[in-house]
Amino acid sequence: MNTALINMAMQTTLAAIEPRTIAQRAAESAHENLWITAGYFLAAIVGVALLLSFLGMALIYIERKVAAAFQCRIGPNRVGPWGLLQTVADTLKLVFKEDFVPQMADRTLHMIAPFLALLVPVVLLALIPYSPALQVADLNIGILFITAIGGFGVMGILIAGWSSNNKWSMIGAMRAGAQIISYELSATLALLVVVLFSGTMSLTGIVQSQEDGWWIWRGHAAGLCAFIIYLVASTAELNRTPFDIPEGESELTAGFHTEYSGLRFAFFFLAEFINMFTVSALTATLFLGGWMPFHIGDWTSFNSAMDAIPPSIWFLGKVTAIIFVIMWFRWTFPRLRVDQLMHLEWKVLLPIGFANLFIAAIIVLANAYPYPVAGQ
Amino acid sequence: MNYVFYIAAAVAVFSTLMAITRANAVHALLYMITSLLSSSLIFFVLGAPYIAALQAIVYAGAIMVLFVFIIMMLNQGPASTEQERVWISGKTWVGPTMLCAVLLAELIWIVRGDPAWLPGKTIIHPKDVSKALYGPYILVIELASMLLTAGLVGAYHLGRREPERREGES
Amino acid sequence: MAVIPVEHGLMLATVLFSIGLLGLLVRRNILYMLMSVEIMLNAAGLAFIVAGARWSQPDGQIMFMIILTMAAAEVAVALALVLRFYRQFQTLDTDAANTMRG
Repeated sequence: MNTALINMAMQTTLAAIEPRTIAQRAAESAHENLWITAGYFLAAIVGVALLLSFLGMALIYIERKVAAAFQCRIGPNRVGPWGLLQTVADTLKLVFKEDFVPQMADRTLHMIAPFLALLVPVVLLALIPYSPALQVADLNIGILFITAIGGFGVMGILIAGWSSNNKWSMIGAMRAGAQIISYELSATLALLVVVLFSGTMSLTGIVQSQEDGWWIWRGHAAGLCAFIIYLVASTAELNRTPFDIPEGESELTAGFHTEYSGLRFAFFFLAEFINMFTVSALTATLFLGGWMPFHIGDWTSFNSAMDAIPPSIWFLGKVTAIIFVIMWFRWTFPRLRVDQLMHLEWKVLLPIGFANLFIAAIIVLANAYPYPVAGQ
Repeated sequence: MNYVFYIAAAVAVFSTLMAITRANAVHALLYMITSLLSSSLIFFVLGAPYIAALQAIVYAGAIMVLFVFIIMMLNQGPASTEQERVWISGKTWVGPTMLCAVLLAELIWIVRGDPAWLPGKTIIHPKDVSKALYGPYILVIELASMLLTAGLVGAYHLGRREPERREGES
Repeated sequence: MAVIPVEHGLMLATVLFSIGLLGLLVRRNILYMLMSVEIMLNAAGLAFIVAGARWSQPDGQIMFMIILTMAAAEVAVALALVLRFYRQFQTLDTDAANTMRG
């Protein structure tokens, strides 16, 4: 069989580039030479830092260009070629601004809050499988870990709002807290559907389970439904329009970061965009097959053509597509009111999510996937 | 990995002590979250990754955020912090500390000298826990769900704002 | 993984429990008392986990999950009560609630 040959070839290539995470390599080298372990740690930290700054620059530029395109404008085009250096210029401006702390604010907490807000998405960056060989750590409780860490994003926002000692900050933070905690339920229910289907909680394991088809269509309607729920819920967790009531400019000036300026404001800004990337990357990993190429049943030549594209390009392409969709939301839907927001979560998404999980469990029990799972 | 346990234990004890001695409610809560997170790390070291994640999700992520929410809703301001400072200063501590020290001494005397060592390299995976949970312990699930329903109904009933009473009624 | 004497794990649990009890006895603000109760519950859970790890059985973790569920339900009800308390007495001092039919 030709497909079997291709599969074998793929497995050998995968084995050749040693699909081991950086954490595993570090742990292995710990027995021999501690300096190599330190080197791996340094590599991971530097890599994540570089990725962070690159993502910040790229996403803000893309957001501006996409927004401009939706509004029939040109967008940034003065600083550097095609306005590429606009974000750099803005960052420099923010760096040189005064780092202002209100007199009545809780000084320490006010200073810490932006770092807490940024910490969460950065930790999540370490878990995402970018390609078979590139991942910092692959935990066997990956999904649980993501939910656990993701829940802390709200702490940074709550602390920022409380410590500013400002009514607007406070109301914004309370709204953000209520919103994030509520929508986390739906997002977790959608994640559980994928865990049910793939039978593992490790992210690499989930990607590998999608070799015969991505969960978005292999799980019948349940996969698609979970995908939509997850996308909506995580857009709400990002506090982006149409769910941006925590920082609705027209009512709360800027919500929880009203009192922030300079570099600390930049941290909140960066955290929002990195969050957008991690959410998109997780969506791509869980529902769209991560770095798995697109395959159609027995179309061998088509499949091999798809295999020729490197996995990391696949991953980036999927993530970019989802980021574009999230940006698209912003210019399509009007902002929700607080009661509409709660109505959507508790009376629409949550019941559907529970029903969906139930149906997914039935599908798994009946073993009724359209494509047979490779290992079974 | 032994060091991880002892460092996390030290952090847990220190932050718990700080949590019960702070006058500012939000500071106390943040110390408490630190304490819960370090005990989550301890669970991880002891080979219970599932519980470690649950601890972070439920305790630190949900219960503590609820606390923060309530504190922010009541938003008492600096006056209550001063009041708190008066309450917790001085002789209030003497009696309870002695009683707790006696209790602690007794408890430590009981647990002391167990020759057993926690076996290395046994991690109890989520799968094993789930198998036990949905096998012999199925009643626990039912119990937990009933408990949560009761909690939900109770919280809703108690938290509901009653319609304003008119003058004359009491 | 770690090789730690069982008694160290249990000692940590007892220390945390005692600190929680101390907080419960000393504080007068109902919020802090609730937090101290949480500390004590968590310490009890820690003891269960240590015992479960001692025998490499999942039972300890299941007991911890019961404690967790109970803590969640307890906090939901208790915080609703705190709100109610504050509305009634305009304070969080537990001594304010020393009369019935308040």
